[in-house]
Amino acid sequence: MVLRKWPLLFCAVAAALFAPLYLGPFWLSLLMQILIFGLLALSVELLLGHIGLFSVCQAAFFAVSAYTVAILQVKYGQPTIVAVPAGLGAAIILSLIYGIAVRTSGVYFILVTIALGHVFWGISWTWVSFTNGEGGITNVPAPAVGSLTITSHSSYYYIVLAVVALCVVGYRTLTRSPFGLTLRGIRESESRMRGLGYNIAAHKYTAFVLAGTLSGIAGLLYIYFNRFVSPANAEFFLSIEVALMVLVGGTGTILGPFIGSAIMLGLRNYVSAYIDQWMIVMGLIFIITMLWTPDGVLGVIRRLGVWGRTSHNQPGHRTPTPEEGK
Amino acid sequence: MNWILQALNGFSLGALLFLLASGFTLTFGLLRVVSMAHGMYYLLGGYIGLSVVWFTGNFWLALLAGGSSIAILNYFVNRYLIRRTGENHLAQVLLTVGVVLILADIALTIWGGDSLSLPPPAFARGPIELPGNIFYPKYRFLLIVFGAIIGAVLWIFYRKTQIGAIVRAGVEDREMVNAMGINIDRLFTLVFALAAFLAGMSGVAGGAFLSLYPGAEWEILVLALVVVIVGGLGSLEGAMVGSVIVGLVDAYARWLLPEFSHFAVFAPMAVLLLFRPQGLFGKEA
Repeated sequence: MVLRKWPLLFCAVAAALFAPLYLGPFWLSLLMQILIFGLLALSVELLLGHIGLFSVCQAAFFAVSAYTVAILQVKYGQPTIVAVPAGLGAAIILSLIYGIAVRTSGVYFILVTIALGHVFWGISWTWVSFTNGEGGITNVPAPAVGSLTITSHSSYYYIVLAVVALCVVGYRTLTRSPFGLTLRGIRESESRMRGLGYNIAAHKYTAFVLAGTLSGIAGLLYIYFNRFVSPANAEFFLSIEVALMVLVGGTGTILGPFIGSAIMLGLRNYVSAYIDQWMIVMGLIFIITMLWTPDGVLGVIRRLGVWGRTSHNQPGHRTPTPEEGK
Repeated sequence: MNWILQALNGFSLGALLFLLASGFTLTFGLLRVVSMAHGMYYLLGGYIGLSVVWFTGNFWLALLAGGSSIAILNYFVNRYLIRRTGENHLAQVLLTVGVVLILADIALTIWGGDSLSLPPPAFARGPIELPGNIFYPKYRFLLIVFGAIIGAVLWIFYRKTQIGAIVRAGVEDREMVNAMGINIDRLFTLVFALAAFLAGMSGVAGGAFLSLYPGAEWEILVLALVVVIVGGLGSLEGAMVGSVIVGLVDAYARWLLPEFSHFAVFAPMAVLLLFRPQGLFGKEA
């Protein structure tokens, strides 16, 4: 089974590397969105799949880095080399602050993160003098380092691909490290891990900040892709949408969030071409996923026996309830 | 003078939030159900009340229609959707968000995207003179009285009646109550219907001083969530104290720090998270 994975991976890498050669601009931009939002969904997965915390404020970290870059570049004329680290820093600082949420667990954590996400959305909406309010910040320039400016879609695609690949490798290393094992230990039984002498609060806080950082990286990729940021990028709705991506794809794997992102974005592009009621379709996807396929597409595939072996973190192949492990 | 006026503003918003948050918190305490649809119930109840006022001109009928139609809707949502999730809160949250999306799109098609407001009943228009030469909008003043009455009735029901005792017992230990021979399912249906009725009614009451528009469902829901987080999930007294705190903080922040008013409401929540994560009246998680 392990052997069968490598040719698949090789094909996927080759397909990704040569994508600009055979994909038109529409498909290439869809692929970039899938990668960027897949990365954002991966940050939800880090908390949900490994500690069983369901965060509904990842859009805030995504938007804070996008806004920081946009404001620095457009309003203050700073170069990319300054704006990008500042954007990442902003996401880390915000997640350090919002980290107080990990003092709660279960339902409380969900409710608290909804409220915290709403705070950032509120700021981006009401602080008009700084964020332009509802209109958002437009005309963000293309990323440039020195005299090198990345203007074409296909060259930016390689940057997105490289950053996402790096993040995925980092994520894989992290979740397979003793740290990742400890996180899953906390998910399974918090009291036992405390009894073994692990600092539960510190582990949860670190994971929360790491997830925030990951969302921030996705935000950086997004702002140079979209060249425009508005309060819609900080909405509760976006946080919920990426959470759904994780569940549609299936928790417990790295591939799941990306598959979910591909399904959701693909479907949105397809459906909105025919009808206006995208929201109703979305609502139905939410309900259908939760009622009939709580372990996502990968779960369905696994149940059908196509995949054979389950992924590295076995217990994650079902949706963990936040109440578990108490 | 202004201090008192702002306090009245705070209390009237608090009264509205209490109508919404009390249902949310009881639903959670007894049924272990987290329903994100509560904000949408508020908006939909308000819209239905608005249509009733347009057709009949009767405000009381609007309150009744808004509340009961939402109670009926909630019965079906609960019976056919939420009941199937068991006690998986994550599934409940996403499922009810799905319900909200569908209802929001339907509401948008029926009532459009403009901001609508409900005309207050004739007897509640104009200002009222309070002792100390204070003039205050009569409607908002009556809302405070209304909220206080509902709060008192709920409290007496919850603390002093036999049904209330069963509800409290159900919050503590559901299986035990069932084993005592009490039909807990019927009780759940009653509490859930009451919570939905209050949410729909609060939409009608709120529609007359805050306006109704697409998106209002999330804004009001987040305020209700802050009330519940501050007060403690599952506690009626917590919902009372929490809604007064959030209402007052909101009113004074709008007056003293208008730029940060959006932010200020969340400050008590942050303080509580640091020192008492389970909320003022909440039990140890």
